[in-house]
Amino acid sequence: MSQPDYKKEMEQFSYKQHLDYESPYRHVGKGYSRADATEKVTGQARYTYDLEFPGMLYAKCLHSPYARAKIVSIDKSKALALPGVKAVLCGEDTDIFVGLYMQDKYVFARGEARYQGEVVAAVAATTEEIAEKAITLIDVEYELLEPVYNLDQALKNETLVHPNIGEIAHTEGVFFPQADTNIASLNKSRRGDIDKGFEEADVVIENEFSLPAVAHVPLEVHNCIVQADPFSNKIKIWSSAQSPFALRQMMAASFGINESDIQVVIPYVGGGFGGKAGIHLEPLTALLSKASGGLPVKLKMSREEEFNYMPTRAGMRGRIKTGVKKDGKLTAMEIVYDWDSGAYADYGVNVGKTAVYGGLGPYDVPNAAITSNTIYTNKVFSTAYRGFGHLETLWTIERQMDVLSQKLGIDPYDFRMMNMLRPGSRTITGELVTESTGSPIDCLKAAAKEIGWTGRKTEEEREREWKTGKVSGKGFAMIQKAPAMPANTSSSVIMQMCGDGHVKMMMGGVDYGQGAVTAMAQIAAEELNVPIEMVECRRVIDTDTNPYDWNTVASKLTWMAGNATIRAARNMVKQMKKLAAAVLHSAPEFLGHKDGYIYSLHRPEQRIAYKDLALGYMFPDGSGIGGPLISHGVCMADGLTNLHPQTGQGHPAAAWTFGCHAVDIEVDIESGDIHVKKIASAFDIGQVINEKFVYGQVCGGIVQGIGSAILEGYKFSDENVLLNPSFTDNKIPTMKDMPDEIVPIYIENKQYNGPYGARGIAEHTMISVPSAIGNAVYDALGINFYRLPLTPENVMLGILSGEKDIR
Amino acid sequence: MAQKAENKACAMTTAHAESMERRVRLTCRVNGQFVVEDIDPTMLLLHFLRDRLKLFGTKEACGEGECGACTVIMNGRPVTSCLVLAIEAEGSEITTVEGLAKNGELSILQQEFIELDALQCGFCTPGMLMSARALLDRNPDPTDDDIKEAMSGNLCRCTGYRQIFDAVKKAAKREREELKRS
Amino acid sequence: MLSQFEYIKPLVLDEALTFLAEHEQTYILAGGTDLIIMLNKNMIDAKYILDVKSIPDLDVFKFTEGEGLEIGANVTVNELVESDVVQSKYRALCEAASVLATEQLRNRATLVGNICNASPGADLPPSLLIYDATVKIASAKGERSVPLRTFFTGVKKTLLNKDELVVSVFLPDPGKQDNSIYLRQTRLRGHDLSTVGVACRLNGDGKVAIAINAVAITPLLLTDLSDQLNAKGLSEESILWASEEIKKHIKPITDVRASKEYRSHMAGILLKRCLGQLTGKEV
Repeated sequence: MSQPDYKKEMEQFSYKQHLDYESPYRHVGKGYSRADATEKVTGQARYTYDLEFPGMLYAKCLHSPYARAKIVSIDKSKALALPGVKAVLCGEDTDIFVGLYMQDKYVFARGEARYQGEVVAAVAATTEEIAEKAITLIDVEYELLEPVYNLDQALKNETLVHPNIGEIAHTEGVFFPQADTNIASLNKSRRGDIDKGFEEADVVIENEFSLPAVAHVPLEVHNCIVQADPFSNKIKIWSSAQSPFALRQMMAASFGINESDIQVVIPYVGGGFGGKAGIHLEPLTALLSKASGGLPVKLKMSREEEFNYMPTRAGMRGRIKTGVKKDGKLTAMEIVYDWDSGAYADYGVNVGKTAVYGGLGPYDVPNAAITSNTIYTNKVFSTAYRGFGHLETLWTIERQMDVLSQKLGIDPYDFRMMNMLRPGSRTITGELVTESTGSPIDCLKAAAKEIGWTGRKTEEEREREWKTGKVSGKGFAMIQKAPAMPANTSSSVIMQMCGDGHVKMMMGGVDYGQGAVTAMAQIAAEELNVPIEMVECRRVIDTDTNPYDWNTVASKLTWMAGNATIRAARNMVKQMKKLAAAVLHSAPEFLGHKDGYIYSLHRPEQRIAYKDLALGYMFPDGSGIGGPLISHGVCMADGLTNLHPQTGQGHPAAAWTFGCHAVDIEVDIESGDIHVKKIASAFDIGQVINEKFVYGQVCGGIVQGIGSAILEGYKFSDENVLLNPSFTDNKIPTMKDMPDEIVPIYIENKQYNGPYGARGIAEHTMISVPSAIGNAVYDALGINFYRLPLTPENVMLGILSGEKDIR
Repeated sequence: MAQKAENKACAMTTAHAESMERRVRLTCRVNGQFVVEDIDPTMLLLHFLRDRLKLFGTKEACGEGECGACTVIMNGRPVTSCLVLAIEAEGSEITTVEGLAKNGELSILQQEFIELDALQCGFCTPGMLMSARALLDRNPDPTDDDIKEAMSGNLCRCTGYRQIFDAVKKAAKREREELKRS
Repeated sequence: MLSQFEYIKPLVLDEALTFLAEHEQTYILAGGTDLIIMLNKNMIDAKYILDVKSIPDLDVFKFTEGEGLEIGANVTVNELVESDVVQSKYRALCEAASVLATEQLRNRATLVGNICNASPGADLPPSLLIYDATVKIASAKGERSVPLRTFFTGVKKTLLNKDELVVSVFLPDPGKQDNSIYLRQTRLRGHDLSTVGVACRLNGDGKVAIAINAVAITPLLLTDLSDQLNAKGLSEESILWASEEIKKHIKPITDVRASKEYRSHMAGILLKRCLGQLTGKEV
C-alpha cells in the first residue's frame, strides 16, 4: 500500500481560528465575561490572604537550613517567654502524619529534617512582628547528615531518605514503594513484545532527556486560616486551596476525626496550577490554633517560603530507546522515567503513575514498555503542576520523535502522521481509540498548516541565515493528556430556584481563575433555556453547604461538573414539567420549556412561568402543590479502572484531549536568545464551552510553557540548598516575553459522553511548548538539545561547543 | 561529615523594645480622601493601605518589588507599595484600585479588562490596572512597546498577558475618543 | 521586618550629616528600592532610617554648558530617562536607566542609590564610568570628590565612610560630537539584572571608552583596553580584535545567574555590537 500524501492532506484541511469561532448554541460556546470579573477589577474580591477575624493570631515557621540533618534538640523557652506569643510547636509536640497517597510526612520535621526549607518549628502570636521575632528565639541544634543529592545517588540506595519505606502506609494497588530503596513508587506498563519489537527494527536509537524542578508561582502564595476548637474535634478552615473536599478528607484522616467535624471554606483563590491541590499548611495551623486556645490562626507563606518550603514540579530524567523501520513505522519504545521527587511523596507518586499511561505520546506503538520511578531525594518535595507528568514526558517523546525523523531522513510531520493514534488503534494501556476519542491528526494538520510548515530547513538555507546572526526555525510537538484521577472520581451539583425564577447553583469544584462558575452557569442556562442572567453559580465553596467534588485538578471540572450540571438542570426541568402538567391538565411529554416558561407544545399560549413553580404552584384559592424546586446532578467517571500493577493495562482516561503546538522562532546565534515569533496551537476539545476562557487558557498555558522552555528551573548548591528562592533569580515570563503572535485553533470532534461533546482544555495548553521549541531550535541550528531550559546561556554554550548533540 | 551547627536564624535578633514613642503621624490623601493616622515608622505603605485603611484590593505577592501586585499610584507615578515606607507617603496623593471606579461606574480600563477577559484568578489584576492607569495618564497614546515597558513590572501567571495587553490598548483608544468628544 | 528603627527626616544637609556622625546603625533612605528589601528580609538591623528626600541640596539636577551635569542624590532613575539633557548628551546613561528594573522601581530608585548599593551587576555604573564621573561626598567634617572608578571597592562595598553621604554625581560635558551606548544581556526580555552589560563611548576625537558590569567584583572601566584600541584606531578589524581581547581584562565568575564562560563570551559580543553601532561598521 502506498503512503498517503500527508502534505496534500494538510493543505486541504480547513479549520477555524479562534476569531472566527461561532457556536451553534444559545449559551454554550459563547464568550461571556466571567461572572466574578467586576469584583476582581474593583478590588472587592476577597482572597484568604485578605481575611481577618476577631482575635486572629499570626503564625510563622522556622525552616531547616540544611538538606538533611538530625534534629538534636529544640529549645523553645525564649520564644515562649516573648510577650504576645501564644504557642510554639515543633516535631516532638505531635506525631500527626500528613499524606496524600503515602503517609510519609510529619507536620513538623521529627527527628530528622529532610530538605532545606522543611518546617522545624512554628509560632502563633498576636502580631506578625512578634511571631517573626519569636522564630529567631528558637534554638535548634542540628547534626548535619550527608544528603541524598540526586537521582544517581538515590538509586544506589546507600543512604535512604526514608529508611522505613517498606512500612509506609500508602494507597495499595496503585502505588508501589520499594523496600530498602529510595523508590517511593515503581509503576509499569507493557504492550506487545518489546524484545520482538526491537528485533523487527531497522534502526534503534537511545537518548536521555531531562529537565529541572520548577515552581508553580501562583500570585497568591499558599496561606490559610484555621480555627480548631480545643474542646471538641471541630476544625474550621479558610484556605487558598484547590480541593476543599480532598482537604477535608485528608485532615480527617490525619487527625483521626470525622469528615463532618471539618468545615472548609474556599474564598477567591489567586491561582493554583496544581500547587494548591493537596493538603499543605492546614494541619500545622490547626495544631497552632488548638494550642492557642482555639483562636483563629493565619499562616501565609513569604515568596521565599513559597519557593523553598512549598512543593514544586519534580525534576525528571527520561531514558528512551526506540526501534523503527526504515520506512518510518515505529516497532518498539522502551522508556524509563526517573522523577527527582524530593523528600516526600505528596502528589509526586501520582505524577510517576501518570507517566505509564500518558508517557508514550499520541502514537500507536505495537510494542512498548514504560517504567516510572518516583524517587526520594533530600530536596524540596514535588507535587502536581499543570498537566503533571506530561510536559516532562512530552519533552522526552516529542524530542525523540524529532531526532528519529532526522536520522531516518523523513519529514517530522510525515513521520508523526505514520504513527499517530487513529480510530482502531490502541493506547499503551490497551484502550481502543474511536471517533469519540478525538483526533490528534486534525490537530497536527491545523497547527502545522498555520505556521506554514513545508519541511525542514536545508543546510544551505541554514548557512545563508547564519551569516545574518539570526536563524529562524519551525517545529511542532503533539499533546495528549487525560485527567489523572482515580477511576471512581465524582463531581456533583445542587441547583435551587428562587421565588422569582432565578437559579442558584453550587458545585464542589473551585474556580481559581479558570472560569468554572461562569461555564457551569452557561451550561445550566442552556439546559434550562433561560437568559444567562437567570443563573448564578456560587463562587465561594463551603464543604458544609456545597456538594462534593473530588478535587479541582486535571482539567476535569468542565467535563465532570458540566455533566453533573446537565443532569441537575434536566432534573429541574423534569420537576417543573411534572408540576406544570398537573396544573395545565397535560402530560410532561407534551410540554416544552423556554425563557422561563413551561408551555404546551400544542397550544403554546397555555403556559406557566418558572417563577410560579419555583416554590410550589399556588392555585387561585391559595392552596398549593409541589414545593421548592431543588435538584441535583452527579457525574461519576465513565468506565474507568485501576491499571494492572504489572502490565498497566486498564482504562485510565475519562477524556483524552489531543493537541499540537507549532512554533516559528528565531535564534540569535551570538547570544543564544530564542524569540518566539508565532505559535499556533490546535486542540481537539470537542466543544467550546466559553470561547473567552478557552482563549485565556491557551494564551496563559503557552506563556507558562515558554517559561519552562527557555527560562525556569531550580538550582541547588553542592549542599542541596536552593540557590534561587526569589523572583530575583527564579524568573517567570513577563509581558515582554509573550510571543509576537498566538493562534488558538479549536477542533470540535465530539466526545459522546462529554457535556455537549466537550473535553477538558486547560493544562494541555502548556505541556508541549518546550518540545515544540526544542524541535524548532534543531530546525534553526541543526543542534539537538536534550536538557531544559533552553536559556540563552545554554543555547549559546551549545553553539560554541561545536557539537551537534548537547546532552 | 557529622558536625554541630547552630540555628542560623538566631543570628538575626534585635533588642529594641517596642515603643509608642516611635510612632509618627502620617497625613496623606488616599483615593481623594484625607487620611491622618499615627503609625509605626516601620510600617510599609502596602500594609498601611491594607491593614489600617482596609483597602484589600492592593495585593502582596513578593515583598521585594519584583511582581508589581502591590502597585499603587503615588503622586501620579506607579510605585510598588511594598518598597515604600508608609511615612514616606507623607503629604502625598495615593490612588489604589478602589479609586478607579467613579460614582458607581466602572472606568473604561476596568470595563475593557472585563470585556477582553484580561484576568483569570484576579490576584495580579489590581496591580495591573494601576500600572495601566498610570501609563495612560502620562501617555494617552502608547505604542505597543510603551505598553509592554510599563506593564512588564507586573507578573501574571494565568493569562499569558495577551488579553491584558489588548485591554490596555483598547482602553487607551476609547479614552482618547472619549476625550475628543468631551 | 525585625528592625525597630526610628525615622528621621532632616530638612537641611548639615543636620543629616551631624545625625549620621553621631548615630550608629543609621541607614540612608532615598528611593528605598534596595534598602527596604534588606529591611523586609532582615538582612540588616537598622536603628535609624535617615530619609534624605526633603534635603533640597540633594535635589540638584543641573546641566551647565561646557562644564557638565550634576545629578543629586534624590534624582530618580525615571527622571534621568525623561531628561532631555541625558537623552541628548549621555545616551548610554539614558539607555541604562531605561532598562533598569521596572517602571515602578525606576520611579523610586535613584542613580546615587544605584551606585551606593555597589552591586557588581548594577546597570548604571558602566554608563557613568565612560564619562569619567566623579562622586561628591559629604560628611560633618567636610566634602570630598572622588572619581567613580575608585568609588567601588568590592561586592556591595564602596569607599564611603560610615559618616559620609553621597551628595551627587557629576558628569563632565562630553561636547557635541560625542555618542555612547549601553547594551546588556539578560535571562529574559522582562526585568532582570544584567548578566553582562557593556557601555561604550565614542568622543569627538574619535576615541572610545569602555566600561562593563557583572564580570568582576566591581563595575570596570577598561582603560587599558580602550587605550590599546584607540592606538590601533577604529576599524572592523580592531573592533573584532577588541571583542576577543576584552576577555583578558575581565574576571567573571560562575554564579546562579550565569557561568563565567557565558559572561566572557557575551562581554565580547556586546562590545562588538556597541562599537559596531557607534561607528556604523558592520562587524
